[in-house]
Amino acid sequence: MKYEDSHLSDQQLLLEIENELTGYDEKLVHAHLDTCWKCRTRRQELETAIADFVHSRQQEFDSKIPPAAGPRALLKARLAQLAASEPSGLLSWHGLDRRFAWALAATICGLLAVVSFLVRPGLNRSRKPATIVSIPDSRLTPGAALLLSRQTVCAQANTKNKAVPVALQRRVFEEYGIVGEPRAYEVDYLITPALGGADDIHNLWPHSYSATVWNAQVKDALEDRLREMVCDGSLDLAEAQRAIASNWIAAYKKYFHTDEPLLTHRQERIQ
Amino acid sequence: MSSQDSTILPVLRATTTAEAGDSRERLQKEVVALFEELREPLLRYLASFGLALPDGEEVLQEVFLSLFQHLDRGKSRENLRGWLFRVAHNLALKRRHRNRRDLEAQAEPGVGDLAIEPGPNPEDQMVRSQTQRRLLAVIQALPEQDRRCLFLRAEGLRYREIAGILDMSLGAVSLSLARSLARIARSAER
Repeated sequence: MKYEDSHLSDQQLLLEIENELTGYDEKLVHAHLDTCWKCRTRRQELETAIADFVHSRQQEFDSKIPPAAGPRALLKARLAQLAASEPSGLLSWHGLDRRFAWALAATICGLLAVVSFLVRPGLNRSRKPATIVSIPDSRLTPGAALLLSRQTVCAQANTKNKAVPVALQRRVFEEYGIVGEPRAYEVDYLITPALGGADDIHNLWPHSYSATVWNAQVKDALEDRLREMVCDGSLDLAEAQRAIASNWIAAYKKYFHTDEPLLTHRQERIQ
Repeated sequence: MSSQDSTILPVLRATTTAEAGDSRERLQKEVVALFEELREPLLRYLASFGLALPDGEEVLQEVFLSLFQHLDRGKSRENLRGWLFRVAHNLALKRRHRNRRDLEAQAEPGVGDLAIEPGPNPEDQMVRSQTQRRLLAVIQALPEQDRRCLFLRAEGLRYREIAGILDMSLGAVSLSLARSLARIARSAER
């Protein structure tokens, strides 16, 4: 390349700005720039264009991207589920002999096809039909809450049996692989809206009407108890949400100091 | 409902399963740390595909779950930033294709619309300067590949990384960037 006789191209100038030139080219370009005001001016114009572009992007985006807290928490929850549901990396595909892995995969696929054909013809998802009794599947329903303060939650009315939109109910049944008998279930909030629970699929599950002991009324009683404790300041809101999302039956036992639902709570169902 | 109310926090289960070893926990922490570091640059890049912010966030979740699986399987740790942008690029193309299929009647949002929030925001429109509008128009008029180069470079990726993500030669990357910047510079002269 002859830089002495002709001016530098935009590409050469940009490579120089970006420190992407090497060796001989770098020396020649610098030598040319030392002597050529025209190319130095052009170089400045390109730098100004970069600055304009960066400034424009900052104006476009800064302050519009919301805080990372919510998405980060969601990612953590999903990673935890993934780590719990997948076999260890040591036993994964790459730890196996390739030919054996292919044969194994083919066999598993074949078996799955046969099983799904025999057991669940017509179902469009491969999840097993869940026999939901009292506890939701934590992978599907880890719980989700709105970012609300204790004051806001306690200032709101103690909403009970908030209706779940039909479309969302359908998605919940689909997630849980329930077909044919959705009337046997009530789509329930894992974390009640009265404790800041969200209208989100991760916070909804099909609570079976057939549950006779740990039924929805018993859960309602726990929700009232937790809300009471949160609002009188004896329990942290986040702790209440975590307790009910982790295992609401265990939470009931803990906060009512009993291993069985109290009679008054069971009687509400009978009435 | 205030904007604060609309943020949904998943409630984590307190326990980890017995089989989740220390290494997996470390891996999860590493992935979350990378998420914190690169979420904003990746979201900005995803917006250049015309994806609204909620779509971009969903794509990002997929990207980082894939990263976890990638690392968990003992695959290469070389240049994870480039890997993340490449996977985000591919998933964004898929998502955009799906969105277009779902909403065929809707025109593709260009860079000028960068759909961070759906619908126009009159205040923003007022505040946006003449220069900003001019620049956005120039960028929107760039060929898609040139825009991608420019956005990736703006997020700090080196030429070699951009070439890898977009499957181009190094020379093509520098030519593309020079072409785009020349257009931006030319528009400033008017």
